[in-house]
Amino acid sequence: MQHIKIKEGAIVREGAIEKAKKVRFVVIDIHGVLTDNTLYYTHDGIKSERFSLKDRLGFRLLNEAGIRTAFLTSKISRADQAVGKIYGVPEEFLWGSSAKMALTSEMQQKYGFTDEEMAYIGDEMIDLGMMRRAGLSIAPADGSPEARQIADYVTSVGGGMGVVREVAEFILRAQGKWEEIISKVF
Amino acid sequence: MRCDLKEAQERAKKVRMVVHDIHGVLTPNVVYCDQEGNRRYEFWHMDGFGDLSLSANGIIPIFLDSTSVDEEGLYRARELKLEKYYYKVAPQDKAKKLEEIKEEYKVSDEEICYVGCELYDLPFMKKVGFAVATADAPEEVKEVAHYISSLPGGRGVMRELCEFILRAKGVWEEWVDKVTKMGYK
Repeated sequence: MQHIKIKEGAIVREGAIEKAKKVRFVVIDIHGVLTDNTLYYTHDGIKSERFSLKDRLGFRLLNEAGIRTAFLTSKISRADQAVGKIYGVPEEFLWGSSAKMALTSEMQQKYGFTDEEMAYIGDEMIDLGMMRRAGLSIAPADGSPEARQIADYVTSVGGGMGVVREVAEFILRAQGKWEEIISKVF
Repeated sequence: MRCDLKEAQERAKKVRMVVHDIHGVLTPNVVYCDQEGNRRYEFWHMDGFGDLSLSANGIIPIFLDSTSVDEEGLYRARELKLEKYYYKVAPQDKAKKLEEIKEEYKVSDEEICYVGCELYDLPFMKKVGFAVATADAPEEVKEVAHYISSLPGGRGVMRELCEFILRAKGVWEEWVDKVTKMGYK
């Protein structure tokens, strides 16, 4: 296995680095990945969620490297739109459908990318289909046992604690672009 | 896990209705109050999957709410489009309401799973076919439970329980496969 710097506590399964080299599109489940699963409701019925600002850099670095990022969740809420703006994910890449597999096929047609070129970050059993399909599958440290078991890469951090920041670094290091992108951004 | 898993599975097989309150099961029993007097309650995303999955598999999830301070229980049920299974009652009317619900849906005690987290849940838990306690419930509540969840309230109890029941019924794998490909519909 090729050696690149890996974050302490992460699990990198055999072949993950080779798979990461091919990634051009990172598709991300929201709840449990960008959040810790917690939903807050105020007394007057406003729902809110907690997102990590660490992930903002992750999205930026991926985009700088020409790797596209998309949200994929059952329904895009206004909170998801707001955080999409903060993370720099364009409106057209906020994908909402409970039939994730079918919508992904549609988007692959539209934007021209294959399963092999797709990384998918998911945390639950309902993400397993997408994880098996994606060239590179990733689960957060506190994902369901099934998701962690089949993932090519398990992050050292839990959902909502900077998963995308860590994944971006892994993919860019695997692709040999890390130093270049970092020097471009900072 | 100090419960008899085999027995719990047998009991879960018969379940046609799952009854739970709001605070302590769907939430960690916490309220955030800010300096303006606004109140905020904490739920768990994947518990929604739990209740929705039960409902989609013909098991009625009943939100028997005697603990909401504001309308937080209703907001949650409404968001999941399970509002028709939501009942807000005063604590002293809970038993009577449950009898009415049993009548309406033609279910027996044996077919009910009740999820409890506090002493006031004991009478219900002693009566039903399948009693479940949260990981952070008091000892007395755990003692009468047939199954104690590995997770505390507000951290995925319904997600865990839904998997346990659907696995006992032998439909879990098929359901996950279906929901993965086609969504909840």
